[in-house]
Amino acid sequence: MKRTALLAVAGSVLALAGCGGPGGREDAAAAVAVRLLDSVARGDGAGACATLAPETLADLEKSADQPCAQAVLDEDLPAPGQVTTTNVYGQWAQVRLDTDTVFLAVFRGGWRVVAAGCEPREGKPYDCTLQGV
Amino acid sequence: MRRFLRENSLGLTFGVLFLIVLVGQAFAGHANFNQEQVAEGLEPISLGRYVTSASFGVDVSENWQSEYLQFFLYIFLTVWLVQKGSPESKQLDKVGRETHEDQKMGEHAQPESPRWAREPGLRRGLFSNSLGLVMGAIFLGSWTAQSIAGVAAYNEEQLSQLEDTVSWGRYLIEPDFWNRTLQNWQSELLAVASMVVLSIYLRQRGSPESKPVGSAHNATGVEG
Repeated sequence: MKRTALLAVAGSVLALAGCGGPGGREDAAAAVAVRLLDSVARGDGAGACATLAPETLADLEKSADQPCAQAVLDEDLPAPGQVTTTNVYGQWAQVRLDTDTVFLAVFRGGWRVVAAGCEPREGKPYDCTLQGV
Repeated sequence: MRRFLRENSLGLTFGVLFLIVLVGQAFAGHANFNQEQVAEGLEPISLGRYVTSASFGVDVSENWQSEYLQFFLYIFLTVWLVQKGSPESKQLDKVGRETHEDQKMGEHAQPESPRWAREPGLRRGLFSNSLGLVMGAIFLGSWTAQSIAGVAAYNEEQLSQLEDTVSWGRYLIEPDFWNRTLQNWQSELLAVASMVVLSIYLRQRGSPESKPVGSAHNATGVEG
């Protein structure tokens, strides 16, 4: 039992760090995207901010002129949904849910959300409610 | 050992230079990649991660494919095309695949000829085209590798700009693929054309790539 728990913890750490077996990086990126939307839906601003990339967090605080934990809840991010596709290339990932599209990049602590609440635009980059970089 | 080094100095020197330059490219490319990462507020990556990345893969393979295309074309086209006055060309009356006697094959094979030059059928056919076929195969392999690494590197760039990724099939008609491909092809073709034409009028004493210094400008198929 103890060994199983250790393996589970190790697996979670590796997954968050973007490592792991086939599908490991995709799953880890998707888990972070889902955690952002779940946290916002639960009103857990601190939890949501822990998933954000440093520049995204800084830009949010600057534009809202308030701490991230409060500002992120005011961003009108979509409700959590089912993950439909995850694309991972190098240091970047795109997680498509049935309610949102989220872009993530790899940082020292693993995948972090660079942009969320994104709507596609024909021939142009996505238009995102929350966006760094 | 010393004799072995002297008798193989050309291949060994280019092999070692290749490895040194490839390592140099890895370090320079890694530094450049991380410069861009930091400028975008992202984390730098390790050298190990960089040399296994699509970005490094496409930069290496796009140059390899064009070099092997150059040699493949040169080897095959010089069977039928000639250039008066160039040591890179065969003699003007030797256009084509030439006779078995000229090529020392089949019944005209000599005691020191490779065994497959003597044997009839598929083996002789394969061996007598093996240089061009291998160059062509490496070209196709490295061009395919360029397209596979290229689509991954392109998609990483797309995601960093908050844009959708594309499939491999779609990437093959993207400007990025053809820009990488054609910019390498044009430089290789220019280099070959320059070599063929400049070697008519210019000399490099002692080099088999040049005519002897005193050869006439219109002497064709003569190597120094």
